[in-house]
Amino acid sequence: MDTPEQAALRAVVRDFCARHAGQGAWARLTGELGLTGLAIPEGHGGAGAGLAEVAVAVEETGRVLLPAPYLSTALAGAVLAEGAAVPGGRGVAGFLPGIASGAQRAAFALGGSLTASGGRLTGLAHHVLDGAEADLFVVRAANGERDALFAARAADTVVTPTGTLDQTRSQATVEFRGTPAVPAGGAPGRAEDLLRVMLAVESAGAAAHCLDVTVGYLKTRVQFGRPIGAFQALRHRCADLAVEVMSARATAYAAVRAATGSPAELPVLGPLAKRHCVDVFWHVAAEMIQLHGGIGFTWEHEAHRYLKRAKTSQLLHGNPAELRRLVGQRAGLC
Amino acid sequence: MNDDAFRAEVRGWLAARLASAEFGCLVAAGGSGRQHEFVAERMAWERRLGADGWIGLGWPEEDGGRGLPWRLQAIFHEEYARANAPGRVGHIGEQLVAPTLLTFGTPEQKARFLPGIAAGTELWCQGYSEPGAGSDLAGLRTRASLRDGEWHIDGQKIWTSLAHVADWCFLLARTSPDAERHRGLSCLLVPVRQPGIEIRPITQITGTAEFNEVFFDDARTAAGNVAGAPGDGWRVALGMLGVERGVSNFGQQLGFKREFESVLAAARGNGSIADTDIAARIADAWIGLQVLRFTTDDALGAGAPGGDALAGVAANIAKLLWAPWHQRLGELAVDVAGADATRAGPDYDLTDTQRMFLFTRAETIFGGSNEIQRNIVAERGLGLPRG
Repeated sequence: MDTPEQAALRAVVRDFCARHAGQGAWARLTGELGLTGLAIPEGHGGAGAGLAEVAVAVEETGRVLLPAPYLSTALAGAVLAEGAAVPGGRGVAGFLPGIASGAQRAAFALGGSLTASGGRLTGLAHHVLDGAEADLFVVRAANGERDALFAARAADTVVTPTGTLDQTRSQATVEFRGTPAVPAGGAPGRAEDLLRVMLAVESAGAAAHCLDVTVGYLKTRVQFGRPIGAFQALRHRCADLAVEVMSARATAYAAVRAATGSPAELPVLGPLAKRHCVDVFWHVAAEMIQLHGGIGFTWEHEAHRYLKRAKTSQLLHGNPAELRRLVGQRAGLC
Repeated sequence: MNDDAFRAEVRGWLAARLASAEFGCLVAAGGSGRQHEFVAERMAWERRLGADGWIGLGWPEEDGGRGLPWRLQAIFHEEYARANAPGRVGHIGEQLVAPTLLTFGTPEQKARFLPGIAAGTELWCQGYSEPGAGSDLAGLRTRASLRDGEWHIDGQKIWTSLAHVADWCFLLARTSPDAERHRGLSCLLVPVRQPGIEIRPITQITGTAEFNEVFFDDARTAAGNVAGAPGDGWRVALGMLGVERGVSNFGQQLGFKREFESVLAAARGNGSIADTDIAARIADAWIGLQVLRFTTDDALGAGAPGGDALAGVAANIAKLLWAPWHQRLGELAVDVAGADATRAGPDYDLTDTQRMFLFTRAETIFGGSNEIQRNIVAERGLGLPRG
C-alpha cells in the first residue's frame, strides 16, 4: 500500500503526466517536482526518499510512456547514492546533485564486454536505453577477475544514437575509449536487478493504462446496436487482462519491497518481476490493438507505442527465456 | 495477542494432536480427491478442534468465538496447512454458515446454531446448485412453502459436498413461485436426517465421491429456520458466496507450495528435470506460485499501492489465477511421472499426483465457474455493460 506521502506523490505525478507529457516535460519534472532526486539524500540535493518512491513515479510516467529518460536517471540516482554511501564509492557523490537537479541525465550500460583497467573503461555497449541524451553512464565492466560498477561521463565516450522501434525511448551504442571511470561502490548484479524491477514497475503501469483505454473504448464503440463491451467474448478477454494487470502490479511491488527491505530476495524477484510484468504488458498491448480493431492499427492511435515499448522491454536486460532460466537457477530449482 | 506466541501455540497444538494415536492417521488425509478418507476420525477431529477453541476464531466473543483479528486467523490457517492437517468436514458450518448467521441471523438462530458449529458437533452442507441451475443459480426450482408452522420442501440439489455427514443443510429454495426470479428465494436451515431427504453420492472422475445429489420430497423444517427475511435469500446467498470466494482459501498457498515441491522432487528423482521443456515448466510453475502469492497478499490489503476498482473483485481475480495455475501443476505432475502415471491400482486407487491432476479439473467449475468469475470481474471490476 502507498504511504500517505507516496499516495500524494502518485497523485502529483499522475496529474503532471496528464498535463505535460510533451516537450519541456523534463525541466518541470526535475525542477518543479524534483523527481529525479527522490532516492538521493538531501545532503546531495535530493528528496531523501527511496526506491519505493522512485517506483511510484516510474509507474506513473510509464503509464503515459513519458518521453524522457526518467527511469534511467532516477534509478541511477538511487544506485549511485547507495554506492556513495559505502567505502570505495564515495567518488560518485559528486554526480548526485546534477542528477537531483535534472542537469545530468543518466543511463545504464550494463551489457557488452567492457573492461576497466587503471581507472579507465574500454569497450562497446550496445542498446543503452535512454543513452542518446545521457550525460553520464552507470557502467558494468570487468575489473580483473570480477565485474564492478563505475560511473563515467558521456563527454568522455563516443555516443552513437540508433533508430529505435520504440520511438518513445532512445537507444545508443556507447564506445568507451580509455574513458575515465569513477568506482561506484555498489554491486553490478544489484544494479541490473534494480533496473529489472523498475522495468517491471513501468510495464505494470503501462499495462494498466492499456487496459483502462481498451475498456473505455469497449464501453463507447457501438456495433450491432450495442456497445461491443457487452459481448461476452470481449468481456471475458478484458477480465483475463484485468487478472494479469492486477498480478503484474502485485508482483512489481513485491519486487520493490524486496529491493528496499529484503535485498537477499532481489536476485530472484528482479528477474521474476521483469519476466512476469513485461509479458503481461506485451499481452495487454497486443490485445489493446485487437480489441480496438482497425483504429488500433493506425499510427495516430497510441496503441502501437505501447506494443513497441513492451517488446523492447521484453528483449533487453534479459529476454523471457533467459529470465526464466535465471530465476530457476537463482531459486535453486534447476 | 502477539503473533509469534499465537503461531507457536497453534503449531504446538497441531503437532501434539497429529502425533497422537487417535489422530495420527489424519496427516494429509481428506484433501481434494480424498474426501472419502477417515471420515469418522475427521468428525472426531472437528470435535477436538471445537473443544480446544480452534473453531470460530474470528467470530465475536459474545457469539461464542474468540474475536481474533484477520491476521491471527491467517496464521491459524497457515499453520494448519503447514502441519498438513486433515481436510475439514466442518468448514462449511464455520466458514460459510456461521458468518451468514452472524450477519443475517436472529438472536435465536445464533443461539441455536453457533454453539454446535463452534463445538464441531453439528456439521453443515450447502444446498445451492441444481441440475437446472448451475451458473444460473437464480433459476433454481426447489420449492418451499409454509404450511401448518413448517416449511415443506420439494426438489433436488446437486454437487452438495459433505451432505452424507452433515446434520444441517443451508438451503436456497424458491418460496414465492410468482415473484420475479431473484426475489422469490429464501435461505432455509434444514435438518438433513429426516425421511423427506435422500442423499446419493456422485462418483466423480477420480472414482471417489466428494459430492452428492440431495432429493427433497416433502422435507420439513421449522418456520423460524430461515436466514434473513423470507424472499431475501438471494442477497443472503450472495453474501455467503462472497465469503466462499474470500477467506476460505486461506492457507492454500502452503498447500500449493507443498504440492509444487513434491513435483520438483519427483522431477529430480526420475531425471525428467533434465528435459528442457519440463525444466521450463517447473520454473514457470514456481514463478506462477510467487505471482499468485503476491496477488493474494494484495487481495488482503498488504501489497501493491494505489488501489482501484479491481480491489472490489480481488477474490474473483484470485480464483481466476489460482485455479488454472493448479490445473497446470496437475498436468505438469503427471507429465513428470510419465508412463507410470497411466497405471492405476486395484479398485482404481490413484496416486496423489493422479488425484491432483484429475481433481483440479473441478476447480475452474466449482465456487462459481471461472466464466462466471470473468463476468463478475468484467461487470463489477471494469464496469463493462451486461450482455
